[in-house]
Amino acid sequence: MSVEEVVKEIVTRVVRRPAAEFAGQTTFKDMGADSLDIVQILSAIEDKYDIELDDEDMVDVKDMAGFVAYIERKISENGN
Amino acid sequence: MSFKGKVALVTGGSRGVGKAISAKLADGGADVIINYFRKKSTAQETAREIEKKGVRVHLIKANLAEADKIDGMFVEIEKEFGRLDILINNAASGVARPALELDDRGWDWTMNVNAKAVLLCSQHAVKLMKDGGKIVNISSLGSRMVMPVYTAVGVSKAALEALTRYLAIEFAPLGICVNGISASAVLTEALKIYAEAQGLGDSVYQSTPAGRMVAPEDIADVVAFLCSQQSYMIRGQIIIIDGGYSVSPSHTNNAK
Repeated sequence: MSVEEVVKEIVTRVVRRPAAEFAGQTTFKDMGADSLDIVQILSAIEDKYDIELDDEDMVDVKDMAGFVAYIERKISENGN
Repeated sequence: MSFKGKVALVTGGSRGVGKAISAKLADGGADVIINYFRKKSTAQETAREIEKKGVRVHLIKANLAEADKIDGMFVEIEKEFGRLDILINNAASGVARPALELDDRGWDWTMNVNAKAVLLCSQHAVKLMKDGGKIVNISSLGSRMVMPVYTAVGVSKAALEALTRYLAIEFAPLGICVNGISASAVLTEALKIYAEAQGLGDSVYQSTPAGRMVAPEDIADVVAFLCSQQSYMIRGQIIIIDGGYSVSPSHTNNAK
């Protein structure tokens, strides 16, 4: 699975929305995600890729495309 | 106090109160399994510090809100150590909102981490406590006193305290002592975040009749005692560590 597919699966599972609602320009707000959802999403992605994500980085994440790019960057920094 | 040859699991053991407890048990010679939720680098740093005491430290990342993650944690403990002697249910989380603003998911999250995980971890631990054991559950004064936006956490801690009593009786024939400690505000990063988010300023940094705030090491000292043979006849109790705060006539003003 690509990073985008993994992120899509985790985000839509946590916020309990259909996968079709996940798109590049969709924001966490559009997905109905609150701060508790975001903590659970970040935790699940950390488990999947054995990386550490910083909550404060989320301030710069505008939408799902940006979120996927951020995760790809963290995976690559970790040497996976 | 000697815990040589003992294996201890401290949930939420990499920071704050949990870190002080992990260090204290390691001082007594226990090998320590530290469960943490997300901050791997912090957990690794804590592990390095505690390993210097000459004990084995094993890190396990697990979100205790999820039952299958708790199952996985104990599978790993059995594989790595084959036994457990001490369980400290310290991990805590919570949604900080007034009662009217709490939704079901925030409520469930808080209850799952602070109360249900204590039951599930204890059930797993019993199977590994082959020569008896000690379980200590960490509560807070919010279980019985009202603090701003602490509704869900306070209620979850009341559940944890009741569970402590039930487990103490049920586990007594198995040679397992179960107790809890309840502390007033402890000077940790979590308190700073709570105070800042709620705009409480310095009001949470209350003084106590004892003349200072509770420190993580104050909790760790009592936890170590409850894990020792000297506390054998203490069962199902919640020991309050608050420098006299909760029995002081002025505490209601301090809590505002």
